[in-house]
Amino acid sequence: MSNLIRIAFFTIKDQMRQKSFYLLLAVAVLFILLIRSCYHGDYSVNGQKLDNVSVAWHASLLVFHIIAAGMFLMTSMISMGVFSRDSEDGSLVMFLSRSVGRWQYALGRIAGIWLLAAAFMFILHLTIFLIVLANTGGMIAGYLTASLLCSVNLLFAIVLTFFLSLYLPNFMAALFTLGIIGISFISDGAYQAMNNQLVQLFVSGDSPVSTWRIYYPKVYMLQQHASTFISHNQFEGMGQMDAWLNVALYTVVLAAVLLLDFHRREV
Amino acid sequence: MISLENVTKKYGTMTAADGVSYTVNRGEFFALLGPNGAGKTTIVRMILGFSRPTKGTISINGIPAGRPASRKKTGYLAESHRLPPYLSGQEYLMRHASFCGLTGGSAKKAVGDILELVGMNGSEKKKASSYSKGMSQRIGLGAALLGNPELLVLDEPVSGLDPLGMRDVRVILEEFKNRGNTIILNSHLLSEVEKLCDTAAIMNKGRIVIKDSISCIVQDHETLEDVFIRHVEGKGIRK
Repeated sequence: MSNLIRIAFFTIKDQMRQKSFYLLLAVAVLFILLIRSCYHGDYSVNGQKLDNVSVAWHASLLVFHIIAAGMFLMTSMISMGVFSRDSEDGSLVMFLSRSVGRWQYALGRIAGIWLLAAAFMFILHLTIFLIVLANTGGMIAGYLTASLLCSVNLLFAIVLTFFLSLYLPNFMAALFTLGIIGISFISDGAYQAMNNQLVQLFVSGDSPVSTWRIYYPKVYMLQQHASTFISHNQFEGMGQMDAWLNVALYTVVLAAVLLLDFHRREV
Repeated sequence: MISLENVTKKYGTMTAADGVSYTVNRGEFFALLGPNGAGKTTIVRMILGFSRPTKGTISINGIPAGRPASRKKTGYLAESHRLPPYLSGQEYLMRHASFCGLTGGSAKKAVGDILELVGMNGSEKKKASSYSKGMSQRIGLGAALLGNPELLVLDEPVSGLDPLGMRDVRVILEEFKNRGNTIILNSHLLSEVEKLCDTAAIMNKGRIVIKDSISCIVQDHETLEDVFIRHVEGKGIRK
């Protein structure tokens, strides 16, 4: 087993050792179970009663986005203190006094948190999937696939927080990460809303696209694209792979700069 | 085995190590001495690759220090050794064992032997947060000894240990040396150094002021402490 995998494994084990992890998971699952009554209600639009399957589908799509967005908070909170904690409690010396490369240590930590966060998100999405299956008997095709695809966003958030935590206090690093992701949601979300067919009936002309928006991390768009696996709607706003390439490129570049900087640092 | 060539380390305007050069041969028990702030820990950190020289080169068995391969057969005990508080001593050693390529039964056996060697049998399952400084130091020494290292780098290894613990460490180090291994020791305990080490270097203000075998450094009717004071303070010895 390579050192990288070993460190990733230790990272998962150490995180799962914390009671707060289980508390968070329990609270999240409880929240999801509490909203399961949404799937039973009688809903009507324009006097027409909606069927259960349709309600479940719409509610699940909404919860899918809430979980995916909420996971950014969790990942940035977990990632923000890794370097400083390892430095303080002797873990960093434990790893680096052995024949472990600094890149193996950093990537091992990132991989461990990513796998844990992705599994956490998958469990929450799986809970929704099972609730819908139990209540309506219908399977939401693509729900779990979309969850896995959204985990790329989590990797971006983790790498960004790790990178920022080299320069900023831990809390600020998490806050900046959430701010950068938040701007992506606001800018791309607003742009998508402005280009909605319904809005276009009231607003004449195309809304202009700023250059910075084109190159900004497309976290929101990636999540939107993943959700098309559930909704089966056509993905609008950019090319099918553009959001993936954008986020993947940002992640790779950030990871490269992080490793380069970490390699030069004093331990 | 270890070679330092004209190693200089600067932190801003402060020079922690200034043109340090020496060689430690295989099987040698080498002591690095000096007052606080002399640059001993800086040298050790550069040997381990935690810090990089501003100028000069360090190599272990011909491999530049800092490369993971240079630490493959190296054990290290830090000056103020810290253990992750959420791990037990046994878990901590098992992790070290895994990085030494030990797995399963062989890892358990190696860790069991080490726990016995450093006198931590019976406390190995307790969380590190409940350990005293001396217990942490014993576990740290155990971790350094895991995987049969050829080189042991020890920064104040008896710090926090009671006299019995200090005696145990001395016995362990003597045994380690008798197997033909190399030790670099940073210590303020000059009497221990005089008993254990073959060679020593005294550092002051980032420079090596003397490096030779203990027998050559310590002249007739002198102790290592006398030599240390003479070289560090530059004064005559008060008898």
